[in-house]
Amino acid sequence: MVTFKTNYGVIKLSLMVEEAPKTVENFLAYAKEGFYDNTIFHRVINGFMIQGGGFEAGMEQKPTKDPVANEANNGVKNALGTVAMARTNDPHSATCQFFINVADNDFLNFRNESEQGWGYCVFAKVVEGMDVVEKIKAVETGNNGFHQDVPVDDIVILSTTVDEA
Amino acid sequence: MLTSSCTNMPITYFIADLHLSADRPDITSCLEKFLSDEATKADALYVLGDLFEAWLGDDDINEFTSRVTEAFKTLSDKGVPIFFIHGNRDFLVRKTFADRAGMTLLPEEHVIDLYGEPTLIMHGDQLCTRDIAYQKFRKKSRGWWWPRMVLMLPLTTRRNIAENGRKKSKQTQQNLSQDIMDVTPDEVTKSMKMHKVNRLIHGHTHRPDIHQIDIDGAQAERIVLGDWYTQGSVLSFTPDSYQLETRRFS
Repeated sequence: MVTFKTNYGVIKLSLMVEEAPKTVENFLAYAKEGFYDNTIFHRVINGFMIQGGGFEAGMEQKPTKDPVANEANNGVKNALGTVAMARTNDPHSATCQFFINVADNDFLNFRNESEQGWGYCVFAKVVEGMDVVEKIKAVETGNNGFHQDVPVDDIVILSTTVDEA
Repeated sequence: MLTSSCTNMPITYFIADLHLSADRPDITSCLEKFLSDEATKADALYVLGDLFEAWLGDDDINEFTSRVTEAFKTLSDKGVPIFFIHGNRDFLVRKTFADRAGMTLLPEEHVIDLYGEPTLIMHGDQLCTRDIAYQKFRKKSRGWWWPRMVLMLPLTTRRNIAENGRKKSKQTQQNLSQDIMDVTPDEVTKSMKMHKVNRLIHGHTHRPDIHQIDIDGAQAERIVLGDWYTQGSVLSFTPDSYQLETRRFS
């Protein structure tokens, strides 16, 4: 279990160790070293997802570890309340950024092992704090340089607790 | 009697995002089979962009481009009209190639009468307005001076630029945006209202689907074509029905 304390409330994630072992290990490595503390949810699109874990306030991007292999072929769907890894167009490029699905986003699911078909790997589920996620998804957003859908007021992860029991 | 009415059934095909290239002969073969077989019975074939993975210019004539040109030309010679809308990969296709392939180039957004229903067709990249960096490039690459300037460069130079671009984009993957891109729903509505249609067909996102949407209380639909990475993807349209179908690579 990973608990994020944000300035909007507490979000608890249960990790899918069986379904996405490498992705969970990668996520835990960031979580344990406090990487996510002071990062923001920098891309918020109501009806789609809220994305964070890679930027600090002021849209400062943090240096990352090596990318992790895409495990989206585990068949877990990008359903409401699940958490998946963000990445570039390269299917195996996920590092630290993740997003919480705020809708059933079927089009993000694994279809085949092509660049466009790999989909996005779900590795966790929100088990507490969906009300917080609901609050975050509805905040006002605007443009910030090349970034769109950036919350006007920062949504910050204040601290991270990892409980592997 | 029944059989003959079936074979004469009016049908129109839409394809997009084939991303043909010399190193993927399996895709080209699947296309050739489609063009020489079922497409010959069509009222029309619409290619909605990204037919090619890359297009350096109509003067880039080689074994691969000739093979594709020939396949389309053969279909066109059989009397099937072929229409082409540029994608974000093959925006440098010009009339010279289109003429050779027997295709008619259409503007980037075009309304056709599809068995009585006005239907807007486009590649679809213009709907992804959240990708600000790409939209800037799009504006430049579809403008009047940039493509003219690029096409004035010798073909070898264009080849080098494309090759370096590919290498560079591999190296800079780390810094690339991790934003998932799809069409902006508001842009879809805006486009459809502007063209006064209740049906839109596009490609680009590689997320084949039929979306029922509501535009000012009216029922409307957005049909997204599939790509050809692992199978052929075809939208077949008859006066009574339509479906997104796949064709297996042999």
